[in-house]
Amino acid sequence: MKQNELLAMILAGGRGSRLHDLTNKVAKPAVAYGGKYRIIDFPLSNCANSGIDVVGVLTQYESVLLGSYAAKGGLWGLDTKDSGVYVLPPREKADTGLDVYRGTADAITQNIDFIDNYDPEHLLVLSGDHIYKMDYDKMLEYHKEQGATATIAVMPVTLEEATRFGIMITDDENKIIDFEEKPAHPRSTLASMGIYIFDWKKLRALLIKDKDDPDSDHDFGNNIIPALLNGGEKLVAYKFEGYWKDVGTIDSLWEANMDLLDENNDLNLNDPKWRIYTEDAAALPAYIGPDATVDNAYITQGCSVCGLAKNSVIFTGAKIGEGAKVIDSVLMPGVTVEPGAVVTRALVADNVTISKDAVVGEADSKNILLVAQDV
Amino acid sequence: MAKAFGIITSSAEHKVEGMQNYRSIGAFSFLGRYRIIDFPISNMSNSNIDRIQVYISSNPRSIVSTIGTGRHYNINSKRGNIQLCFPNESMVSAIYNTNINAFIENLDKLKEQHEEYVVIAPSCMVFKQDFDAFLQDHAKSGADVSVLYHKVTDGKTDYNHMNVVQLDGNRVTGITPDLCDKDEENICMECYVMTKDQLLALIEQAQAISSIYSLADVINAKIGDLDVRAVEHTGFFAPITSLKAYYRANTALLDSEKADTLFDSKWPIYTRTTDSCPTQFFSGSEIKHSYISNGCLIKGTVQDSIIGRGVTIGKGAVVKNSVILAYTKIEDGAVIENQVVDKHSVITAGTKVVSDPDTIGYVRKRDIL
Repeated sequence: MKQNELLAMILAGGRGSRLHDLTNKVAKPAVAYGGKYRIIDFPLSNCANSGIDVVGVLTQYESVLLGSYAAKGGLWGLDTKDSGVYVLPPREKADTGLDVYRGTADAITQNIDFIDNYDPEHLLVLSGDHIYKMDYDKMLEYHKEQGATATIAVMPVTLEEATRFGIMITDDENKIIDFEEKPAHPRSTLASMGIYIFDWKKLRALLIKDKDDPDSDHDFGNNIIPALLNGGEKLVAYKFEGYWKDVGTIDSLWEANMDLLDENNDLNLNDPKWRIYTEDAAALPAYIGPDATVDNAYITQGCSVCGLAKNSVIFTGAKIGEGAKVIDSVLMPGVTVEPGAVVTRALVADNVTISKDAVVGEADSKNILLVAQDV
Repeated sequence: MAKAFGIITSSAEHKVEGMQNYRSIGAFSFLGRYRIIDFPISNMSNSNIDRIQVYISSNPRSIVSTIGTGRHYNINSKRGNIQLCFPNESMVSAIYNTNINAFIENLDKLKEQHEEYVVIAPSCMVFKQDFDAFLQDHAKSGADVSVLYHKVTDGKTDYNHMNVVQLDGNRVTGITPDLCDKDEENICMECYVMTKDQLLALIEQAQAISSIYSLADVINAKIGDLDVRAVEHTGFFAPITSLKAYYRANTALLDSEKADTLFDSKWPIYTRTTDSCPTQFFSGSEIKHSYISNGCLIKGTVQDSIIGRGVTIGKGAVVKNSVILAYTKIEDGAVIENQVVDKHSVITAGTKVVSDPDTIGYVRKRDIL
């Protein structure tokens, strides 16, 4: 796709504070998922697979690891002559002082100069912390067909879930007539997925106006979308059906991993036509020891299982020692469960060691236990 | 510090039944996710040799796609490169398919290299070796040529069509074909270090003696005039010179002590990723003592085996003592024992493919049994 048709900007500045210790040192988009991936691999791979050449990644919170990772555009095939991944943390500029990104919209406003370099017709704005596969090219086609100023991807949720999302109220022709942020009494069940395509010229003008508005939070959901609606612009909903998850909490991150144990899960990472790319580890295939038991598990290369792995997802380089048991759990990259240890209903953070014969987690716990330090 | 460029020779003299009909030995899948040639290239890359010539004698497609740009081997893309060297004309007979003739056909490319030394390694052998240590020791020794060898105690069983080195201390007094008549042998690993000028001189001398001489032959012929030193290699060593040797090299690494002498986190073996997802092990599967690559769906039993990428093993299927290459489908209830099953083949439901442990079976690429 030509750069001047559609350019993508990924909002990747959030901490994801409800992930607690997991995001003490890394931003949420860099959190590991699904055995071998990081969450930001999903929007980046979607961009690459959708034929988008230029992707800006807007970072802020703990951006060193995320920034150096996202800058390796070649991992997603975004390193040809006319393509690239550009990491854009807040920066000092000639006409203004150094300022953090005050909101999602402000992050784009502060990079208008970057976007202008490519002079795109349309701008795709994405979140860096959602897990899904989506062809943005199809969404662009719909956006153009509709002649919309903004197209917002939505997916149906339950009435109960609707209270946690931005909800779009649409007419029969998918035209958005109203919008509510986390409504107590939802009037619709179409949740915004945080995926927007804008007419760049119109958005650009609006962002410049919003920049100096003292009452604005400089946020897409709270300010920009309502302003477009009030201004009588055409906003349409693009209905997405498929797997989409915002893993905001330890429980939901655990659950999203457990979803992979279902052979017919909607995410289907085993799809050769829509690969999710990631950094490859120089590691052996998974080694399963002579006395191991593997019962319903999702295991990646570099792992070594000599004990029991049951209903669990085991990430790159994780090791389960002899006689150790890992049940209903997620072991993040580099975790070691020493011989005889038992891990139940837990999410064990990167590089943590569960020492010999230690016991963590309970089979009937209400919440998933996050283990972020050696035990 | 002495600087060297690298040469990976094609190993066209070795023949592996079946598998080699589809690709050269360097491009054989190894231990589920590697290719044989990943080992010599990674050894060179880890030894700071970042200009490498890879000689290709036949079936280039597979080896070319394995190597690609070479970026995954951690080769510096500005100062370094991997150059693929093909034969210019087809050989009228396989006897001319020697490394010396391959060098002659690419002589300009060889002369162009500006490093003083050259490290030469074969594409068909699996081992870990610090070539920089090999090079620096050679440069200090004052020898004309240094050669790596590996002591074996099973010389009568494998190592067909390989050479052995005759030693007097660490001086090499001959490099001659292995007659496979002794258990204890010093197998020549076809890894050499010498100056580029020495290599060019040997190529010229070989031409003057015989049109079918290999590098080992000419060194042997000139052994009286040359100071050739032997350096012993220790750790895992597996020349892939027959189907049985290929099978044994894979399954031997199920022994974690052996695997530890080949794989070292500080000495990574690089390979091209296929971006396959992790492997799904279902309830009812039973896996013991095996390596399982990514992208597989496993419902059956796997024991003492190596499973390549994207393999499907159905309910009730049993795979024992076998090497299963990528994208093979083993349907429900099928039984595979003592086999090498080549890529994209299908073993239909209930089919039994069982061989004696002494005569490893081979299922051809894309066959349906």
